[in-house]
Amino acid sequence: MIRVESLRKRFGTIVAVDDVGFEVPRGQAFGLLGPNGAGKTTTINILCGLLRPDQGTVSLAGKTDPTRPDVRASLGVVPQTLALYDELSAQGNLEFFGRINGSTGAHLKNRVTACLEIAGLVPRRKDKVATFSGGMKRRLNLACSLLHEPAILLLDEPTVGVDPQSRNLIFDSIETLKAEGRTIIYTTHYMEEAQRLCDRVAIMDQGRMLALDTVENLIAQHGGPSHIEAELEDVPADPAELAKHLPEKGLHIDQRAVRFETAEPMQSLAVLNRSGLRLRALKVETANLEDVFLNLTGRRLRD
Amino acid sequence: MGKLFALACKDFRILIADRGNLFWVFAFPAIFALLFGAVYAGAGDGPSGMKVAVVDEDESTFSQLYVGHLEGNEALEIARQDRETAFEQVRKGSRAAAVVIKPGFGDGFGAIFDANEPKLAIALDPGRRMEGAYLQGLLAKAQFEVMGQQFQDRQWLRGQMNNWRSEITEASDLEPEDANVFLRYFDAMDTFLADVNEQTYEAGFGEGMLSVATVDVQREYDGPRTPFQITFPQAIIFGILSCAATFAVSIVRERTGGTFQRLCIGPISQAHVLAGKGLACAATCLMVIALLTSAGRLIFKVPVASPALFVLAAICTVLCFVGLMMFISTLGKTEQSVGGAGWAILMIMAMFGGAMMPLVFMPSWMRSISHFSPIRWGIVAMEGAIWRNYTFVEMLWPCTVLIVIGIVFFTFGVLTLRRAQL
Repeated sequence: MIRVESLRKRFGTIVAVDDVGFEVPRGQAFGLLGPNGAGKTTTINILCGLLRPDQGTVSLAGKTDPTRPDVRASLGVVPQTLALYDELSAQGNLEFFGRINGSTGAHLKNRVTACLEIAGLVPRRKDKVATFSGGMKRRLNLACSLLHEPAILLLDEPTVGVDPQSRNLIFDSIETLKAEGRTIIYTTHYMEEAQRLCDRVAIMDQGRMLALDTVENLIAQHGGPSHIEAELEDVPADPAELAKHLPEKGLHIDQRAVRFETAEPMQSLAVLNRSGLRLRALKVETANLEDVFLNLTGRRLRD
Repeated sequence: MGKLFALACKDFRILIADRGNLFWVFAFPAIFALLFGAVYAGAGDGPSGMKVAVVDEDESTFSQLYVGHLEGNEALEIARQDRETAFEQVRKGSRAAAVVIKPGFGDGFGAIFDANEPKLAIALDPGRRMEGAYLQGLLAKAQFEVMGQQFQDRQWLRGQMNNWRSEITEASDLEPEDANVFLRYFDAMDTFLADVNEQTYEAGFGEGMLSVATVDVQREYDGPRTPFQITFPQAIIFGILSCAATFAVSIVRERTGGTFQRLCIGPISQAHVLAGKGLACAATCLMVIALLTSAGRLIFKVPVASPALFVLAAICTVLCFVGLMMFISTLGKTEQSVGGAGWAILMIMAMFGGAMMPLVFMPSWMRSISHFSPIRWGIVAMEGAIWRNYTFVEMLWPCTVLIVIGIVFFTFGVLTLRRAQL
């Protein structure tokens, strides 16, 4: 459905995107995960034809020119900025963008109503956008891209600065769209979002793509081991004796607290259970995309 | 076309959603036209009569007749006052001059033969000498006209000559030879007055000593009939300037706000988006023109010599300013920078183009500079249709200039925006 090959874009001396390539099959959600300045938005802008790449090709549904009207008609883009008219109502915004996308009459009316429902803004449909909260604007920003029922959705950090309630509503909407078979590219610097929504994730940093795989594989390959942390009922009389029952790698015993690394958390828990130790509390820390990014770049995602 | 219309409608809805925009685009130009129209109307009435104070210190029959005659002159606005008040008013500028009729003025037709001391004095502001000269002429004319009226009374004139004969006989400072010359003259006049028949006498003196016939000739009219014919084109230009500035800022707002991107991503070309913006600006400008012209026509009875040419002028002016709007939108990257730079440029254009001071009132050096301002051509085109009685051929020059300026600026603006986008 989407194929990107050897994409490169330079702004002056800054290389914003450097040799980026990926494929997204129909109906998949693909995540571009990286900090600010990683090249995610530039990639999206090239995909939707707002920017011309210096090098490389983009193919959307087999067509290599994203500026073609028929390609754009199949494309829904949620820009990072709130691309809305504050002076118009929610309904006014949707009607306008619907008309621009070629909808008229009853079809436009139905689509506007459907999108208002997706955004959860039916009760506020007549209110000016200027009176909306940040979360409501974000929801409307997403809804405006769905008016023409696009097959491909490019979502550029659609949850920046929203409250948890709006974020969950947006997640639900995206999951519904994915279930409907739409192909989604989702950029974010929140690893929780990528983990929840994306089938595959590309880790980007400073314009380069560092890794690309499913979330599980990325974690398995680059996330490092999981950790188990237990708090014992009693202080062990002989810590050396205790250590014999536990994996050696990364073992720390400090009074009642015990912490160790494990590649197989479930097996390690079974070992711990068989050891006869009386546990007061138990915590399993599995690796996540944050760890993947840390291991790949030596920096945290939000640094 | 439907998408273009949608773009234009959206921009118009956004425009009218802001009361500030509504004021500057629609209300301010109307207020401008009214205010300056009223000012020019006051200035354009012409002299309603020179304001002159008259101090009659003689209070003779002749001086009374004289003042009465001055009061009947439409070129003068006479107020009878005492000397102190009259001089005070001249000093404060509320009267152009004060005429003092001194004692003895009534003797001998305003002491016309009195060589010793003038019996008529004019107190004048030194800065108004031209009006003083004009007033002297009017005073002399009045003196002869009153004399002429007196001469119509033959018996009064004969009695007057008897008095003069007595005065000459009694005059000690007159040489006997000279006295005899005057006496022989008055004797001859008396004989003439006694013998001439009434019809002949009236034919000679009946219409006064100076009789000038006036013939009314209707001057061929080549100027505005009402000052609103000057101020309404100016007001229209201000309305268009407001539109251009507002829409230029709206383009930057769309660029910085992301809506421009969203539109460009849609199944329409960037040219469509910019054309839609241009259409919205043009439609709003035409609406402003229609509203102001209707108000001028219906309320202030502003005549438009050629409605068809006015429509042509309006369209060309609007096209020019749509181009300017596109150019102004590229002058900065923020609303503030485009708003500031846009108004600065437009104000300079307005100042030298005749939107602030009418072209007809400008000094020649400013009129020369005004050729570089598109506002001048807009005003000239509209004035050509409203009161300059331009022919279609004459209208072609300003209209061509406007369209060329519009195309150049529009092209420059669109290319700059496209480059900035990609």
